[in-house]
Amino acid sequence: MKITETLNTTKNKAAQGAGSEQAITGAEAIMRCLVEEGTETIFGYPGGAIMPVYDALYDYMDRINHILVRHEQGAAHAAQGYARVSGKAGVCLVTSGPGATNLVTGIADALMDSTPMICIVGQVKDTLLGTDAFQEADVMNITSPITKWNFQITRADEIPEVMAKAYYIATSGRPGPVFIDVTKNAQQDKMTKPFVYKKCKQLANYHPRLVPKPDQVSEAAKLINAAKKPYLFVGHGVLIAKAEEELMTFAEKSGIPVASTLLGLSAFPVDHPLYVGMLGMHGNYGSNVLINEADLIIALGMRFDDRVTGELSKFAINAKIVHIDIDPAEINKIVKADAPVVGDAKEAVKALLPLVDKKEHTAWLNQFKELNKLEYEKVIKAEILPHADGAITMGEVINLLSEKTKGTATIIADVGQHQMISARYYNFAQTDGWVTSGGMGTMGFALPAAFGVKVAKPKREAIAVIGDGCFQMTIQELGTIAQSKLPVKIIILNNNYLGMVRQWQELFFNNRYSFVELQNPDFVAISKGFGIFGEKVATREELEGALERMLESDVPYLLDVTVLKQHNVFPMIASGSGVSEMRLE
Amino acid sequence: MKTQKIYTISVFSENRIGLLNKLTALFSRRRLNIESITISETERKGISRHTITILSDQEVVENLVKQIRKIIEVFVVYGYENKDLVISETALFKVSTQNLELGSSLHEVLHKIESKIMMLEEQYVIVEKTGTEVEIMDAYAELKPFGIIEFVRSGRVALEKNMKSITAYLPEFELNTIN
Repeated sequence: MKITETLNTTKNKAAQGAGSEQAITGAEAIMRCLVEEGTETIFGYPGGAIMPVYDALYDYMDRINHILVRHEQGAAHAAQGYARVSGKAGVCLVTSGPGATNLVTGIADALMDSTPMICIVGQVKDTLLGTDAFQEADVMNITSPITKWNFQITRADEIPEVMAKAYYIATSGRPGPVFIDVTKNAQQDKMTKPFVYKKCKQLANYHPRLVPKPDQVSEAAKLINAAKKPYLFVGHGVLIAKAEEELMTFAEKSGIPVASTLLGLSAFPVDHPLYVGMLGMHGNYGSNVLINEADLIIALGMRFDDRVTGELSKFAINAKIVHIDIDPAEINKIVKADAPVVGDAKEAVKALLPLVDKKEHTAWLNQFKELNKLEYEKVIKAEILPHADGAITMGEVINLLSEKTKGTATIIADVGQHQMISARYYNFAQTDGWVTSGGMGTMGFALPAAFGVKVAKPKREAIAVIGDGCFQMTIQELGTIAQSKLPVKIIILNNNYLGMVRQWQELFFNNRYSFVELQNPDFVAISKGFGIFGEKVATREELEGALERMLESDVPYLLDVTVLKQHNVFPMIASGSGVSEMRLE
Repeated sequence: MKTQKIYTISVFSENRIGLLNKLTALFSRRRLNIESITISETERKGISRHTITILSDQEVVENLVKQIRKIIEVFVVYGYENKDLVISETALFKVSTQNLELGSSLHEVLHKIESKIMMLEEQYVIVEKTGTEVEIMDAYAELKPFGIIEFVRSGRVALEKNMKSITAYLPEFELNTIN
């Protein structure tokens, strides 16, 4: 008896030693890397070529929370949602071939919207590469143009270094998606050396500039101080850099009117007196029209998307441009900068702050307020306070939601009319209050992104606002939400139409409604089938109570709100028009 | 249409599988045709030099260069006009020696175009000509009457006209070669 005990103890010690000192498999090395980087949650879907990693995950379930999605695209968007509000890399784990190609839309979306994401993807074993093996796809070439970096690991020994590089590249500078293709042999084989993890802090050939050059900053400050009608554009870069406080101090000192891009929303509180509205095709009236009256535009962490500029030759015609961005390739890409400042938004604003004069631009600010009043009269009033006997409008729902949540929820919007309405009528009071697919405009983004948000910020109310078209693109993720018990709230703004396309067909294609009407299923029944409670809201009387019940719920909750069937989002800058040609009707 | 001319883009990158695809994808996405491309390892192990020529305009090239810099494996990128560079190409001509009427003058022509004989056979000769694109095409015209059996031209190689060296291009890499 005694002898046996001694033997067992020795054995156990040997086993422990093997864990820390001796060689581990590539699959376990991947787990160790995730733990080293502090990744607590990953989103994934198993399959043949990633099975060794899933097997290793079985022993790491106490340290790594894995959320089983229903389609790999869901994993990608969930990882995006997670990353967008946490600032940490969102991690996806999927298999080779179709598993990998199903990520593609999400990866492209993450690149466009500068979202840190790491995709760990299985691949056939190295000896089978290029042989058309089962579930083999040339994913390195497929993902090259849509990733910040990609790498194929074929040996277990490469894993720690490549993973450290992956995290560093994904999260530093202008964040973006990184794709790591791991052949099956690299997962199965034991490393030939002990696992040692060293976080990557710099690379030989990649040097994102955080602190801007002082001469660029002083040149920018000179233009800012000389401007009579300066105008500050706030983009996604402010949220990524977590520069909200610096921005506030800067705006209040300089007295410059602040507008936000679609992705910059919630970086600056909507009810602040200096806030003049959203930029872009369906932004606010004053904030767009007055772009051509400004004599200086300070673009902070934004990239002059064509949905913001409208017709470029009619954009900012009287303004000099101070363009602050961390990505030098954005400077002069669309709009020529008079004073480029390459650097992180937070560092740049900090550097600018002591150099700018304290000022007020009351008259200039009032010009915005006047035009926005006009917009209120012509558009907003009817949208948020519609005629009592008509159908519910999208704006009414969002406005009420905004009131009920005091602007403190995180709204995850899909793509289309409901997205623009959410952007326009939710009064964002807190940072990280808005997640949407901006650059790519990926329908189906919101539902998976919403549970990604909820995982990252469990205390935040995460409300997905989704159109009936978008909802059916990733509807299967209701299963993920139910199984993971993530109390995500879902509002479907249901007009039985692909509303934005219908709007364009009405306005620009002579009412020829080509394939935009949908015969929808019973969303509440579907939701219940997945085990998620849902309510149908068809009348105005039901709306407020339903919203309250949804917000009070501590489990996932869905509202299917029937809204005005044919309704247009205004104001609007038509394609080919300049910003000052924005239409109110 | 803006005035187009030949630009040379020099890219120094890691010598790695797939890198060429990442690089050329940036050209094809912008519908830029690559006129010539020459790649080889530099005197520094593990670093490749790509010399790429395109027909384009200043603005496009400036933006393209910045996009190429974003490839993680790329160390440095420069865009040049011809006037900034010393340019050279190599061409090989397989020329027939069967044209007896002209046979005697072949030697004179080879001398005139400053080419080098790489191989001499009874029926043909392979000559090498190094020079600018124009010089090579001039040589082509001179040799054509003899009967060019086969002709191949390398892509452009080019060096900037100044004292900079590759090590000056890559100061950071120097520090990190240990890993």
